[in-house]
Amino acid sequence: MLGPRLQGERGVALIPPTLEHVKRNWEWMTFPETTRFWGVRTMDLRPEHAEERFKKNAQAPDQVNWTIALDSEQVGMTGLFDINWITRDAESGIFIGRHDLYGRGIASEAIRLRTRFAWDELGLRRVHNWIAVRNRGSRRANEKAGYRQMGRYPRSWFRSGQWHDEWLGEIFAPGQEPPGWV
Amino acid sequence: MLGGILRGKRTVLRVPTEADLDGFARWAADMRVRGALTHAYWEEPATRVTWKERLAKQSEDKGSVMWAVEADGSLAGLCRVDFSTGPDAIPDGGIGITHFTIDPDRWRKGFGWDAALTLHRWIFDIVHARSAHTSLAAHNEAALRIARRLGYEEYARGHAVHYGDGRYVDDLQLRMELETWDERWGASEREYPDPLGAELEA
Repeated sequence: MLGPRLQGERGVALIPPTLEHVKRNWEWMTFPETTRFWGVRTMDLRPEHAEERFKKNAQAPDQVNWTIALDSEQVGMTGLFDINWITRDAESGIFIGRHDLYGRGIASEAIRLRTRFAWDELGLRRVHNWIAVRNRGSRRANEKAGYRQMGRYPRSWFRSGQWHDEWLGEIFAPGQEPPGWV
Repeated sequence: MLGGILRGKRTVLRVPTEADLDGFARWAADMRVRGALTHAYWEEPATRVTWKERLAKQSEDKGSVMWAVEADGSLAGLCRVDFSTGPDAIPDGGIGITHFTIDPDRWRKGFGWDAALTLHRWIFDIVHARSAHTSLAAHNEAALRIARRLGYEEYARGHAVHYGDGRYVDDLQLRMELETWDERWGASEREYPDPLGAELEA
């Protein structure tokens, strides 16, 4: 599914992605500045692959995809994936392609909008994710929205002379928190 | 697959595009390149339609990655690697250098060395592969110099394997270990030179 337009604060909005947005995001994923905590910068960049992927994601009933816009300009993407409609659980993800805009709270606002949509419109109960522990900006943006650490996966991957642990986070809809969850 | 941006000191490895195909086609038809007698060039001379199909096929192939090499703002070469056990298992296996070409009109300017060092930074510092391997014709001295300087060691020699220019030449099979990379280049060739500190974990 493609998510609807959600207007946030400070010019940040989540908007339905277009094929051109997908291609732009993929281009951003080939840069060192955006991939320190991402993949190894290898992509299938055929236009027809982008079209296939865009169509598949748009049709998939178990995910909601958005483009993140700042003042109407594309800056990244976010979404809810692997939605289990029985347990009402999903995994979340976010990517800011404009590295020159890091640290401005764009991810925090996008996560806030996404999380509110998960509770108020989709009726989800829980959302979880994985973030590199040293990706403090992303981790804090999630924590600001209410995500809490449920564990750490040690030595998940190695890059540029360092092992990286993963932070495993989860968040519950208001009133759905299990006993003892802080 | 196609590879993203890897910045060297004098070259940049970047995503190959259709605009690069004329260069690739020219090198495939150049006897100086073909004289290297191993997989120095990517594919045989062909029509433009075929080259476009090859690029699309390369983009789709999950078992290999190809980059265009750029120097001084223009196309200067190409390189390609493959994985023996699939992309999901890259760190557990070796990565093979299957093609490495520098525009013959721009040989002996140091672009080959710089692009090779940058490519190996991807192999060892980003992917953290355990080893890299390649094969070179015994008379390809420029390529052998680069390989030995990087840290490759010969582990096999096929006798009279390649034929060209009226004679047979040997084939050298070379391998380089992650430990060698760390020892020779680990201190100076980090993709992200500044390690991330423990304070970020708070």
